[in-house]
This record gives sequence, structure tokens and C-alpha cells, in this order.
Amino acid sequence: MSDSHNATRARLPRGRSLWSDGLRRLRRRKLAMACFVVVLIYFSLAGFIYLAELFDWRIGPTLWAEQVGESYAPPSSENILGTDIFGQSVCRKMLYGTKISITVALCASFISIAIGVPLGAIAGYFRGIADEIIVWIYSTLSSVPYILLILAFAVVLRDKTIFGYRLTGITAVYLAIGLTSWVGICRLIRGEIIKHKGRDYVLAAMSYGCSERRIIFKHLIPNVFHLIIIDFSLRFVAFIHAEVILSFLGLGEADRPSWGAMINDARIELSRGVWWQMAAATAAIFFISLSLNIFGDALRDSLDPKLRIQ
Amino acid sequence: MLIMKRGEKFLAVALITTAFVLTVLLGTPFGGCDSSSSDKDSDEMVLRHALFTKLKGLDPGDMRDVYSVTVASQICETLYQYHFLKRPYEIVPLLAEEMPEISDDFLTYVIKIKKGVYFQDDKCFPGGRGRELKAEDFIFAIKRIANIKYLSQNWSLFDGKIVGLDEFRRITKGCESEEDVDYSREVEGLTASDEHTLVIKLKKPWPQLVSTALADIATAPIAKEAVYSYGKDIVSHPVGTGPFMLKEWHRGSYVELVRNPKFRGEPYPGEGEPGDAEAGYLDDAGRIMPFADRVVWTVIEEYQPAWLLFLQGKLDNSPIPKDNYNEAITETRELTPAMKQRNIQLKKFWAPSTFWLGFNMQDSVLGENKPLRRAISYAIDREKFIEIFFNGRHLVAHGFIAPLMDSYDPNIKEKGFAQYDPEKARELLKEAEKNYGGKLPVLKMAIPGTNSFNRQLGQFLKRYVTAVGLDVEVEYMDWPTYMEKVNTRSAQMFSSGANASIPDAEDFLGMFYSKYWAPGSNWFNYRNPEFDKLYEKIEVMFDSPERKELYRKMELIVLEDCPAAFLNHRVVFALHHDWYKNYKPHAFAYGMSKYRRIDMKKRAEYKELLKTIK
Repeated sequence: MSDSHNATRARLPRGRSLWSDGLRRLRRRKLAMACFVVVLIYFSLAGFIYLAELFDWRIGPTLWAEQVGESYAPPSSENILGTDIFGQSVCRKMLYGTKISITVALCASFISIAIGVPLGAIAGYFRGIADEIIVWIYSTLSSVPYILLILAFAVVLRDKTIFGYRLTGITAVYLAIGLTSWVGICRLIRGEIIKHKGRDYVLAAMSYGCSERRIIFKHLIPNVFHLIIIDFSLRFVAFIHAEVILSFLGLGEADRPSWGAMINDARIELSRGVWWQMAAATAAIFFISLSLNIFGDALRDSLDPKLRIQ
Repeated sequence: MLIMKRGEKFLAVALITTAFVLTVLLGTPFGGCDSSSSDKDSDEMVLRHALFTKLKGLDPGDMRDVYSVTVASQICETLYQYHFLKRPYEIVPLLAEEMPEISDDFLTYVIKIKKGVYFQDDKCFPGGRGRELKAEDFIFAIKRIANIKYLSQNWSLFDGKIVGLDEFRRITKGCESEEDVDYSREVEGLTASDEHTLVIKLKKPWPQLVSTALADIATAPIAKEAVYSYGKDIVSHPVGTGPFMLKEWHRGSYVELVRNPKFRGEPYPGEGEPGDAEAGYLDDAGRIMPFADRVVWTVIEEYQPAWLLFLQGKLDNSPIPKDNYNEAITETRELTPAMKQRNIQLKKFWAPSTFWLGFNMQDSVLGENKPLRRAISYAIDREKFIEIFFNGRHLVAHGFIAPLMDSYDPNIKEKGFAQYDPEKARELLKEAEKNYGGKLPVLKMAIPGTNSFNRQLGQFLKRYVTAVGLDVEVEYMDWPTYMEKVNTRSAQMFSSGANASIPDAEDFLGMFYSKYWAPGSNWFNYRNPEFDKLYEKIEVMFDSPERKELYRKMELIVLEDCPAAFLNHRVVFALHHDWYKNYKPHAFAYGMSKYRRIDMKKRAEYKELLKTIK
């Protein structure tokens, strides 16, 4: 009896979780995986620059301020992407800009998730007055044009001292983006929680007498977590763009190179035929935007049970 | 039912007709929405310029920025002005009949005012008709500046100078608001002996009274009826006696002036300096001004679009943006063939300006440490600075008196205050650390503005100062924040500059007088008793070789103390189209639109010329 039971179990296909199933399908998409590698390169570069600065390693991107040639030297074998007004390497500046953009996008993403997910979960689970207040807040926020709202926050936060910590350009930028961009994720999570609240696993948890906090954070949020990841990957691009726009408008990092600041400088240099700084910054933005978009789409398709394909 | 249908038909026809009429009206110049479109088919002579910042206001009593003064000077006039053509610059009467009669003790000035000068028509006057200008209007203008409730930026011009004016100012302190001030209260030093004679009594001789105050827009009379009628709104309702009057002002967009029909008309000057006749500056001699019917300024905050509009012929003149310099100017500092093909003309002239990296002398780190200030000064490569930011156009500032001034010392370069010597800077830095008693802290540099130019300026200065071993943090800020930092004496180092308003170096020397500490003009909060003593001496001296020597001595005292690293003097390269006539550069005057004339035929021909240019 026992042997035949074991044999039956051995014959049954092994079950797969949502995550392993999703990853398996994701791995089949060659283009998405190539894009993932590109994204990984950007992240690794940003991390490497952090480490280099921490341990004072003298590598290319951290030496961006060094004069390597004449002012506005065009791309050549010596300076692959030419030089800027001060004879600094545009290539090094572009690489260093990765750190700024990735930092801003990561920090802003975490801030928006940290605000949006709990608020969405609370609104969706408790409904009633809590839901009304949260919906009222995010409806009001979303009625203000996005860029104007970020600009307003960036201007207000810039150079302010909070808890003894002075908000410099880059900190003000990611705070401004994070504090204004939680509406989308909040709305998404609220809807999903409302949908999940009536499901059997939640009712079972309720009947076992689990606390509301446990139901939300141990049962509901893990079940909608794939949506957070998908949203994160797609929103990341928007945050990079927001940082570029803020830097372009002079509200971003002023003292160190960022892609937005490079575009801002290059804008007026174009008339003197200096195109390489603009080309370098836009190429850097183009590749990470494209890669993140393709990878984010593929991730969504892979983790969406409705879009499952064998 | 039938009636209803007829009614509906009528309504539909009425709506369509109204829409059609509106479309026709808005689509034509009569719609008035697009001022440029209305220029197209008009025979009016319109001067078209760019303004590179938004106008703050057009109340002459409270303005100091170049752009507001430029516009307001076409509307309001002063007692005296600088001659349009003569060089060296010469003061001549404008609203005054003649030069003032000055008493032997140099303390009383009697000024006859022209008769038959009228304010422009405005609804603030009874019947809307402008009245005649009187001596009382000048007294009102000066008392208004003295009114403490008015908070004029121009008070320092008169502080301690006119008999009884300081007392008047003290009395206004007790008033609740600007409107409560009694302007009829007598001031001993400001009286009208008759309707057209102004008498000014001074506490001590003030040789620069005419050039500094009476030729300054601050003392231009603005109708008191307008001040009372418009209240705070006077900033957008200037009512003056000038050749033009305000027609429209869309804040942040454009300003339009039209010819003042009440303007008395003035003849174009008939003499100038040698070469003026050959240059065509005397072609209009004796003709009655103004020539233009309208003057339009479009607010364009970026140089690039303004440059493109200039090339399209939509602006009459333009500065050369640094990134378009090579497009316009050759290595020999002449126009490129491309510009010549467009019949564009180049004017080069020295502006009476100096730019610097200033040090707050009251700062605990910088103020007591002269070697540190000198080290920073030696660390900056001014030649490179001028090459990068001004295409090599500007001059290195070896001192702070601009080369245009007759007190400029031609041998100042040899004194070596503006040398680039990183080795010497490093040596001085060691001395500075010894003085400080350890490693110097991070120094903060305030840069006014966050645009590309300012960011690059901050990066440049930081790069050179850190290269000799100092730690610097650049703080980029908007103009109000910057001004607050400077005015509250909390800026450690700051990038700044000044343009002299008179052809006398006293304007520059005043920036180092200890009584003018910030928020006054001495942003460095510099004090040197010897300098102060000399300043008080030259303040009451008339132009003489002795005064010139004192000016140079005072400049050396300041340079020795090093309250700033002086960087550059501006040399202006300005372009204009060949149809823009009588464009003779003038460093000290702003009300120039009345002299300008447009050759309408040439302007029309430019459109055809553009078609032939690839």
C-alpha cells in the first residue's frame, strides 16, 4: 500500500509555485534576458562606483573631474566620447551619471513602495472611512500634474535641514519623486486587496482568528507581491526620466555629473557643433529605458496567471 | 412645433454667424492677440528687442536692475543725461533748461526746469489730460525715496546728503503706511523758488550730485496723481514725461511702448566725436525725436532662442551667446562671412564692469586670514576663465576699477594681484593653516543661479581652488536666496559683479566703504580705517589729478587686503542689423530708444535676403 502510494506520488508532476513558474517562463524569453543583463550591468556599475568612492579606488568614472584633453575635443581614440567645456571626459561623466540615476530611481522606488503599499493595503482591507481618506488624498495628489508636483516638492525640499540632515540636490530629488509617486502603486494594491479579501485563504485566516495585521502583511501582501515587482520595474524607468528632467531644470545634482545635467549643458553646446555630450547622455538613458521596459513587460507577462503560456 | 423649429434655425444661424465673426476678428491683426502679426503689414516703425529676464516693475523710485531701468528710461526722464554721441561722456540737460547754478561753497544747486514739458495723458489726471511738469514733481520724487515706508532701494543715494531730508525720513518712520506720509511737509534742502526752479541745499559738497543722482532714473519725476491713484499698482502704471508710454505689459512675456503724443519732441544731436559723421551717427542731426512709433521687448530668458530670432530678423540687435561666438566672430575678432552676408554689424565696447569672487571679511575663517584669501586669488587662472566663459572677449581684472574709467591704472597688471600662481597659492595656504591653527574647514561658495552657466562657473572656480589643496562646497541658489545670504552677511564666498552707473570710479570705491556694509553695497563687509578716511575725503572732492591719485591709492589698499579675487572686466560684442540706425554704444545711458531709427526698406529687404541664404 505504502509502495504503491509512493509510486503514484512519483508519477505525479511536481507542483510549481507562481514564482518558479514565472521565472521558468521568463528564462525562455531571450530578448528579455538580454535586457535583464543590460539592467544588471547598469546596477553593477552604479554599485561599483559606490564602492570605488568608498574605498577611494582611482578608476575612470570616479576621476570624471580630471582634465583629459582640450575643451570640447571631439570623440577620438584617446577620448572615446570626446570632452566637455573643461576638457573632462564625457565617457567618464556618462558612467558616473549611472550612479546618480540608479540611486535616485532606487531610492524613489523604495519610498513610493513604502508609502503606497501599506496605504493601499489598509484602504483595501478596512474600507470605510480609512479607505475614503486614503482615496481622497491620492485623488487630490493625482489631480496635480505629475511633473509640476515633483518640481514643487523638489523646490520646497531643496537645501532644507530635516532631523539635522541637510537635503542636498540628489536627496531632494529622490524624496520629491518618492513622495509624489506612490499613488499608482497604492491604487493598484488597494484594488488587488479588495479582490483578494473575499478569497478562501483570507477567510480561512480570519476563521483561525489571525490578527488583521497578520492577514494583511503575512497573507495578502505576499500574494500581491508580484504586482509590486512588476510595477517597480516599469516605474523605475519613469523615475530615471524624472531625475533627468529635474536635473535638466537645474533642480538635481549640481556638483556632480548626471545625465540630466549633461543634457542641460549639451543643449546650448549643440549650436557650436558639440553633439557628443548630448549623444552620450541620451544613449545611456535610451539603453536602460528600453531594457527596463522590455524586461518589465516580459516580467508582467510571466507572472500574470491570466497570460500563462506553456 | 413649427415655431420651435424656426427658433432653433434662427439660433443656429446666429451661433454660426457669431463664430464666423469671432474667427475673422481673432484671425486678423484686429484681434490683437499677436503683436508680431500686426507688425507685418504695418508701416509703423517698431523697435524690437529681447529682454533676458522678467521685469520687476516700472516705478522709477524703486529700481536698480538694468532691465527695469532700460524700459522705464523710455517712459520717465531725468533732469540731466549723458550726451548720446560725445566721448568722453558729457552730462547735458534733459528736463533741466541748463546746467545747475552752483553756489561758491558748493552747497546750493539752483536748477531751472524746462517749460512746456507735459506728463503723458492718463486717467489719473482730471479729464485724463496730462499736466505740466513742475519743480515740485522732483521734490516729490526725492521725498518719496526718503519715505521709509516706501522702502526704496535708492535711499543710499541721498543718505546724509540733503539738508532736512534725513529728518523727513525719520518722521516717516512714525507713519502707519506709505499713504499716511505727508509729502507737503517742508524739507529745507528741497524747495521750489518758483514753479520751474528747483533749489537743492546740501549738507556737504557732493560733486557727483548731477551725475549720480540727477541723471539717475531714481529721481525721474512720476506724476503724483498716478502714485495716489494707482497705489501699489504704480509699478505697472508709470506716468512720465518721456518719448514713449506703456501700452501693454504681459509679465514674463512682453512689454510694448507706444509714442507719447504729448512728448515735446527733441532734436537729434548735431555734434559728436570725430568719426561719428562717417559712421552715419549724424545723418539724423536736427531731426525731431523719437523716430520709432513703438518699442517692443519680448522676454526671452534663454540666449539661444533670442539669437535665432535675431538671425531671422525678428529682433533688431543681440548679444552673442558664448556657444554661437564662432558662428559670428572670426579669430581676428571680426564678423564671419556668414554674418556679413546678412549685413549684420558688430559693435565692440568696454562696459564699466568688474566681476569677482568675493570674500566675507566678517567670516571667522576668511576674514582674519589674509594668506587664505590671497591663496584663493592666486589659485584662479583668469585667462582660462575668460577663454572658457567669454570666448576670450573679456579683460583680466587686475584691480576693480574698470578700464573705461579715467582713474584706471594702466600699470596695475604689474602689481601682480591677479596672477595665476598655484605654487604661491600652496605656500600661502600653509601659512593660512598656521594662522587658523590646523586644517582649514570646507569653504562654501554661493553662486547665484542654477542654470548651466552658473553650474559651470561654480565647477570652474571649485576646480581651481581645490587644485591647490582647499576643500570647497559650491552652493547654487536662486537670486532671492543668494541676496538674503549676502544681505545677512552669511555668505562665505560669493560670485558677483558690478556695473558702474557713472563714468567715475567712486561707484566702485563705495563698495568698500565700511558704512555701506551689507545690505548696502559693501557686500564684502570690508573695513579699513585708512580707506574709510580717504573715501570721506574723495566724496567731497571735485575731479582733479589729486583725486585720481587718491582713487588709485585706495584701490591698492583694497587689493592689498584682498576682500575679493577680482576676475574680469566685460568687453561687449553686440550685433545689430543694418536697418537699426543710430546704434552707438553707450555705457551709462538707458533711454536710448528715442535715438534709434529703422530703415524700413532695408528691413523689408532682409526677408528677401533670407530666402537666398541657405
